[in-house]
Amino acid sequence: MYRNDPILPTFALILAAGLFYAAYLDGLHIARLLGHAPEDLSVGQIGLMAFGAVLLLYGLIGLVSYWLEGVELRPGRHFPTPSTAPVAAGVILVLLLTALSGFFVRLLAYSAQTGHNPTWLQGLVFGSISLVVAALFGIYKKFFGRDEVITEEEKGEFPW
Amino acid sequence: MYKWLDERLDLTGLYQKVLRKAFPVHHSFFLGEITLFAFIVLVLTGIFLTLNYEPSIREVKLPDGRAVPAAYGSVLYIDSLPFGAVIRSLHHWSAHVMIAAAFLHMLRILLSGAYKKPRELNYLVGLGLLGLAVVTAFTGYALPYDNYAVTATRIGYGIANSIPWIGGALAQVMFGGEFPGSEKSIPRLFSLHVLWLPLLLMGLIGLHLVIMIKQKHTQPRYAERIAPGKILGVPMYPQQMVMMLILFALYVGIMAMIAGAFLAHPIEAFGPPTPNTPAVKPDWYFLWIYGILQLIPSSWEFRLFGATIGPEFIGGAVVPGILAVVGLLLPFVDTRKDKMRYMELPSEHPVRTSAVLALLVFFLMASLAGYKIDFQQQGYLLGNTAVLWTLVLGAPLLTFFLTYVLMRIFYGEKEKKALE
Repeated sequence: MYRNDPILPTFALILAAGLFYAAYLDGLHIARLLGHAPEDLSVGQIGLMAFGAVLLLYGLIGLVSYWLEGVELRPGRHFPTPSTAPVAAGVILVLLLTALSGFFVRLLAYSAQTGHNPTWLQGLVFGSISLVVAALFGIYKKFFGRDEVITEEEKGEFPW
Repeated sequence: MYKWLDERLDLTGLYQKVLRKAFPVHHSFFLGEITLFAFIVLVLTGIFLTLNYEPSIREVKLPDGRAVPAAYGSVLYIDSLPFGAVIRSLHHWSAHVMIAAAFLHMLRILLSGAYKKPRELNYLVGLGLLGLAVVTAFTGYALPYDNYAVTATRIGYGIANSIPWIGGALAQVMFGGEFPGSEKSIPRLFSLHVLWLPLLLMGLIGLHLVIMIKQKHTQPRYAERIAPGKILGVPMYPQQMVMMLILFALYVGIMAMIAGAFLAHPIEAFGPPTPNTPAVKPDWYFLWIYGILQLIPSSWEFRLFGATIGPEFIGGAVVPGILAVVGLLLPFVDTRKDKMRYMELPSEHPVRTSAVLALLVFFLMASLAGYKIDFQQQGYLLGNTAVLWTLVLGAPLLTFFLTYVLMRIFYGEKEKKALE
């Protein structure tokens, strides 16, 4: 609560891993009491995984925020230093994005033709597309975006 | 083009007034954004689902010859579409994530004291949003109309119906008649789930954000040192917007992978409703209420002004009601005279921090009590009602005292040294 530190997000990532593991153990022991087949998720597993997913997202964006915005803000303008490596990384990611998008369309066409829906692969490819987009935005902000930290009076005229 | 639009719409004025708002930076603010993005994904995936879903229990024939309710059949159809099962699973997971994120967001508000003056009203709006999110998720639970969902929803119907004086009317409004059985139930739950409750949620989310913009965020404590009395942050556009886009892309990426790998509610495995009731539990966010219902003896029943006050009402409505009243009164009990500008550190408020941790342990222990019958069947000690009562009441008290003592030992010494 004091500053934008990486400690809590890191701790959240560890806790998220613990919750996913607890969901796995729940499936092995507690959920089995209810007669759940291993491939079905029990309510307990869903709850643990939902909190695990939130903490995973929170931990990741917390570390990204620490990387991109720092621990403390200082008023002023900060200009990025141009360099070749981020451009190369961006080009590679765009190529990867194009390849994944093509593969995703091919996967949908395959499902439509055969009626076979490999959901894990569809989720993996679509999710990967989105993660590549997130990485591109991150690279843009870190290496190409002009940063500015401002101060503002407490009393504003917006929205009223 | 920009000049043409600017001359007519004063876009520069909009940029200066709205898009250059200072947005304080702290990772804990992202919990609210995760809740918002889960809601956006719910709306987007929900649009696809409504285009293919049939809210009816009339009998239809599947291509394999089975006769099933139309609602159940239409969900099987959605699952058979390319990427359809992943979209439905993403919708299901996003509902769980929205509630979990809203709950953690509320914990952050409680731990940092952000409900104090001048943010009492927005805290109440937030509490309302959490409650409404749970109700909205509940109304969607029965829609696939499979054996599991119908049985689980029946528990909620029983609780609504058990509320004295108004229970019958409330159950009628929510379920359109007896559930399961009434033909109006699914159309009623459908209209509540896809129209009225989301509209109410959108309105409350808008109000929550507008009040937040007016009152500003509680800032991280260091901001007091850098820019005292002012709001220190990054402009809403483009910087904060880029961070939001990164989080949204991360959300969609991670949740799509989870949704694809773990189909949350495989209705083909559960089958359409049958007279045989499967062993079910309500969703995890109702499990603590279900646990209390398991502990309250059936003899706790009496008559009051012509109505029956039964164990279902006491466990399902009175206990959550007491917690809700405490939550509603909190900002008017734990107050401060001056305007709150910066987040309070949990270490400086041992009583409040200990109470929040005790509340968490209470929820966990009450949820554990939801497995009472299963533990009994296996002959575990946890199947004993007295043991569970001890855990539900004793563990939170122990947590409170232990946390308080530890915080006094570690942070009390620190404070003493700082004063010296």
